[in-house]
Amino acid sequence: MQQLLTTALTGLTLGMVYAAFALALVLIWRATRIVNFAQAPMAMITTYLALVLIDAGYSYWLGFAVALLSGLVLGAALERFVVRHVEGKSEVNAVILTLGLFIVLHALAALIFGSRYRSFPAPFGLRGFQVGDTTIALTGFGVFTIVAVGVVLVGLVLLFRGTDLGLRMRASAFNQEVSRLLGVKVGRMLTLGWALAALVGSLSGLLIAGGGLVHPSYMDGVVVYGFVAAVLGGLDSPVGAVVGGVLLGLSLSLVSGYVGSELVPLAALVILMAVLLGKPGGLFSHVRERRV
Amino acid sequence: MARRQLLIALGALVVVVLVLENTSQFRNAQFAAMAYYAIAAGGLTVLTGLNGQLSLGHGALMAVGAYTTALMLQDKDAALPLVLILVIATVVTLVVGALVGVAAARLHGPYLAGATLALAVAIPGIPLYFSETLGGEQGLNVRTPPIPDWLADAVFFVTGQDLTPIRYLAYLGWLGVIVVFVLLANLSRSRVGRTWQAVRDDEVAAELAGINLGRARVLAFVVSAGCAGLAGGLMALSARLAAPSGFTLTLSLLLLSAVVLGGLGSLVGALVGAALLTFLPQVVTGFGEDAGLTDVQAAQLAPLIYGLVTVLVVLLAPAGLAGGLRKLIQWRRST
Amino acid sequence: MLTVESLSAGYGPVRALTDVSLTAPEGEITAVLGANGAGKTTLLRTISGLIRPTSGTVTLAGRDLSRQSTEDLPALGLAHVPEGRGVLAELTVEENLRLGALGGGRRATGEELARVYKLFPVLRERGNGLAHVLSGGERQMLVIGRALLSRPKVLLLDEPSLGLAPKIVTQIFDLLRGLVRDDGLTVVLVEQNARSALSIADSGVVLNLGRVVVREAAAILAEDDGLRHAYLGF
Repeated sequence: MQQLLTTALTGLTLGMVYAAFALALVLIWRATRIVNFAQAPMAMITTYLALVLIDAGYSYWLGFAVALLSGLVLGAALERFVVRHVEGKSEVNAVILTLGLFIVLHALAALIFGSRYRSFPAPFGLRGFQVGDTTIALTGFGVFTIVAVGVVLVGLVLLFRGTDLGLRMRASAFNQEVSRLLGVKVGRMLTLGWALAALVGSLSGLLIAGGGLVHPSYMDGVVVYGFVAAVLGGLDSPVGAVVGGVLLGLSLSLVSGYVGSELVPLAALVILMAVLLGKPGGLFSHVRERRV
Repeated sequence: MARRQLLIALGALVVVVLVLENTSQFRNAQFAAMAYYAIAAGGLTVLTGLNGQLSLGHGALMAVGAYTTALMLQDKDAALPLVLILVIATVVTLVVGALVGVAAARLHGPYLAGATLALAVAIPGIPLYFSETLGGEQGLNVRTPPIPDWLADAVFFVTGQDLTPIRYLAYLGWLGVIVVFVLLANLSRSRVGRTWQAVRDDEVAAELAGINLGRARVLAFVVSAGCAGLAGGLMALSARLAAPSGFTLTLSLLLLSAVVLGGLGSLVGALVGAALLTFLPQVVTGFGEDAGLTDVQAAQLAPLIYGLVTVLVVLLAPAGLAGGLRKLIQWRRST
Repeated sequence: MLTVESLSAGYGPVRALTDVSLTAPEGEITAVLGANGAGKTTLLRTISGLIRPTSGTVTLAGRDLSRQSTEDLPALGLAHVPEGRGVLAELTVEENLRLGALGGGRRATGEELARVYKLFPVLRERGNGLAHVLSGGERQMLVIGRALLSRPKVLLLDEPSLGLAPKIVTQIFDLLRGLVRDDGLTVVLVEQNARSALSIADSGVVLNLGRVVVREAAAILAEDDGLRHAYLGF
């Protein structure tokens, strides 16, 4: 029983991080129909920027803010100057482009920041809470993780559903040409979409790093789990991304606890294939048919 | 048609012999590496270029071939002939490729990329889990099998030099390249190859023309998987090791970028890509160290350049270097 | 109000428009007619900037549009309802409408929305529902209402009658006529259904293979049997 609770709580916390990453992927997919595999090294780099500040003595929160801001800038810059050229064209080219960016960002990070493993702080503590006599597997940092992702999700929902800007962004994502005819500055909306997605991605990078080790490859597994979570929830659905993330986190935690952590990536693959072959639109798809 | 291919193959063989016999052991080892990269790249370029299926998981398929080879060479006494071992490794990977291919046949674009990405990350975990039989983190050591006497004698007769193990592996690799490339070239030009391209270009039209999409896709995947398996086996022999650390995600990505750089669908491009993967790192690292970087930092320059060139190729010359060169030649002719 | 002069445009080597000139006078409905593939849609898309012309100019109320990008045009007074209607099906009816106003440069006032709902009562019923449940006729009303909210001087309509029952077509066309009469709207109406179009138009331009072949008052065009048979199919 105790182990089950521990597994569930660990899975929930981890799941929220996957949810954040999945959210970043979904935002970009909705806007530009591209799966941004480079999101992982992008988040890794913004986390490194935070780490540089923190190691130099500045507060965690300053590093946190810098990571999120640099994510915004990085996402906007990549869309505007690089990805813009392949939007709307061949899918294959877009995928290869993001993979090229993946490799470049990886190498740059290793070059500039070095490849050794460095520890990253976690605010609010890593000790489990005391409930009566037992210590449960929920830490202060875990709660922070859940709250942070929740806040971001609510913020995005408010933006998209409640503001004119959000309306324009949604329109641009659904149909660029019609939106242009209606006077929406689609190019700017796409740039903004990528910027927001990168911000969310940066958040997930910080949350994964907290209490653990940072090195150029530390986000590589997350891109797979984030993708699986996004597909599980439906690549078009932000809410789905969060639900998918939590579900995936719980499932993988179960596998890790009861089978072995080495087989977690394999379990993710199995889940992915099950979804793609069974219900390709994901759990939350409201699109009639989706070509996967 | 077949005669021309035979001539090219024989010519290639002659070139291979001349080059290998007249270069150092170090270079021989590099050429051996180029051979297995070329085989893997050849299969991948046909899959992605001709059939339009993007696979980020071919590094994992190479791992299958590598581990199969390693396992069969574990027992010193029951060793089979090396060629047979490699054939078995290829076949095993073909089967795995069929399983993956069947699942992948229904997926397109980013979904396929993501699924094969998951494969690339998942497979290295398996030997870690079954660490007793599969060696865990350390991996399995691969014993180099002895060179058959008849071969050593034949080579000495032709070239006057002894056949070292490294050179043996290089010959084996390049023989593999010639055989595989002839096969792939024939497949590409045949009805099968045209079917693959039809499926890539317009699924609806292909289906209306009576093509079974799933079967065509699976076949392409299987063929490329076989190539990857053979390449993996050769890699295990060269490195004398099959370990998870040798089959990272980066390997799959580098393979794909090598194929893109050379030009999707072009076998010559696959050779170019393989050459880049083999020889560029040393050159670039040398520059980096001369410019004052540490050796660890300089080692990052090669992937940095691959990535940058891949990005540039996609943006400026989607047909890759081979295609770009072709266009350049056409443009010069027309002006 | 809207003048097109010697406009030529193409898709790669294919020339879709050759030397097209026309004038849409203020407060009038100008019908652009012709068979499938005659270049009617290409003409509208070139006016809107979605296609770059190879030569020629487009002028709106004296202002040259050639250096404007598509998304700036609604603010300048040009609204284009594209082929296929362009309903943003995953948004609600009201969101579609509000978007029309936003593109024109400012938010829709309650009054403006109320006016559109008065013109098209069925839209008020559907207000908060997703746009994809609307029928063809309702969608057409939605996109016209949406275009009106950007306060256009010129309205480009691409085949509004496509796929609609004759009764609905009449309803919509009568409405258009009313808008032109009451608001002084200038309309360029691309149609394959020449008969209906000519019944509300003031003048007609017939395109064939990318060129203007006839330019005539609508009444005369409707009477001329030879012309009608040759180009308009009735």
